[in-house]
Amino acid sequence: MSSKDIGFVGHGGRSIHERVAEYSKGEFSSLPSLELNSQQANECIGLGYGFFSPLEGFLNRNDTELVCNEMSLSDGTLWSIPINLNASYETLKTKGIREGEDIVLTYEKRPLALLSLEEMFDFDLEWMARKVYGTGDQKHPGVRRTLMQKGKFLSGKVELINEPRFRPPYDRFWLTPRQHFELYKMKGWQHIVAHQTRNVPHTGHEWLMKYCWFAANEDLPVDEPRTGVLVSAVIGEKRTGDYIDEAIVLGQAELGNAGYFNPNVFAVSLLLWDMRYAGPKEAVHHAIVRTNIGCTHHMFGRDHAGVGNFYKPYDAHYLLKEVKDRLRIRPIFMKENYYCTVCGEVTNGELDNHADKAQSFSGTLIRSILIDGVKPTRGLMRPEVFDRVMEASEKYGMGSPFVTEEYLRSRPPIFTLDEGKGGD
Amino acid sequence: MSQKIAINIWLNDERFKQLEKNGLGNMAEDRLAGMKMIRVFVSEEQKDKIMLLFPMAKYDSSTTGTIELLPRDAKDRLFDLCVKMRKTDEEVVDCFIEEEERRKK
Repeated sequence: MSSKDIGFVGHGGRSIHERVAEYSKGEFSSLPSLELNSQQANECIGLGYGFFSPLEGFLNRNDTELVCNEMSLSDGTLWSIPINLNASYETLKTKGIREGEDIVLTYEKRPLALLSLEEMFDFDLEWMARKVYGTGDQKHPGVRRTLMQKGKFLSGKVELINEPRFRPPYDRFWLTPRQHFELYKMKGWQHIVAHQTRNVPHTGHEWLMKYCWFAANEDLPVDEPRTGVLVSAVIGEKRTGDYIDEAIVLGQAELGNAGYFNPNVFAVSLLLWDMRYAGPKEAVHHAIVRTNIGCTHHMFGRDHAGVGNFYKPYDAHYLLKEVKDRLRIRPIFMKENYYCTVCGEVTNGELDNHADKAQSFSGTLIRSILIDGVKPTRGLMRPEVFDRVMEASEKYGMGSPFVTEEYLRSRPPIFTLDEGKGGD
Repeated sequence: MSQKIAINIWLNDERFKQLEKNGLGNMAEDRLAGMKMIRVFVSEEQKDKIMLLFPMAKYDSSTTGTIELLPRDAKDRLFDLCVKMRKTDEEVVDCFIEEEERRKK
């Protein structure tokens, strides 16, 4: 299998490798194939390009147990979320898939990657769910996702044999780890702070990013900025009521286009990842992945990657503090902010003393404003961002900035694969 | 004490001017970063009727106590009723429900 050092060091102090190869049509037609779901395809792409460095493939039993139990790989590297590939017993039997063989992994019936299958194993999914999420409650979406992984886990190294082609507007935002490093070099950035998002930006988000810029800049000169904010938009499985992905990336980019951020210090890219909502452990995972795309700092706000009341608002901060010596990225902890009617600006309860005049950036309220189609004030959402979000609603969301059943049924895939590469 | 159930109607410039023109500017509250809205109060029984009339609507019982995701045109009609009746109470909601029931027949 091919493996190319991209020349940058990632998580665990290891060089990041791209595992991508070109093969001619039909080269693997004699191999058994396994069709992936979208999460598995996203994770193959993540493994192939080095987003999950130092992982080279899907975890074996020993590493899976260690990750769940000790948040660690067998070589001692910090790892918090197991990356596994499962297939049903029936599929494995029908396809005649056996350990020690190469398998073509397909997505939407087209070849995507090659798996050198090392081990197939059963695993106690309930135990896994309790270890990763701290609960077995099936109301937790991550627990449900874990329990759905029927059959056996398949471990082994992965190599992409067909690179994804992203459709507009995602093509403008898709960058591999290598391309992220190249972007920073071109912009002259030495410090990069990641802002993870699944939202269209309101001024509360903008405030967080701007304050994080200062925090991440540390002692670098300010007359020739060498620090950038990277909006890292998580693109993965959607649920009704989420913002549509197109509105997220275009709305975020508009902050730069309209000058609320100087393009010299601002960029937007995608991260293919299906949220597990694992709260603190997922925060650690996000820190790892952002290390592998070259970020030096990562912003963590209230209830990062949490869901419902499963985690306390600042649990992620405490876990990150515990493991910070095993990370190569510096977390920046942010308190929940609000709009203060006295200060006339976005602030938080540690900075001002007008808590009784606080107006919370409630997601429910902002959602109802957008549904009413009422243009927000400049103090709540930048007018250019609102316009861009509404445009995206019309163009991609069947009139809604939020995911509907119709959007889920009819939206085209985020990326496509060439038909002829590698497979039949 | 349980929180009151409400429907928030956000005000753009046009709607706010309409309120002011009718001497109803004091109905508007500054809710978030200068965003103005009126709150129309709804009884428990009215809330259930509204949820039946608009199955896509959601009642957020845990945080805001508001009925969300009502169609934009239904909210326009509710706003017009508030202006016409010069109030935002349950009487307005009764009229709104009656009108919406007529429309659905």
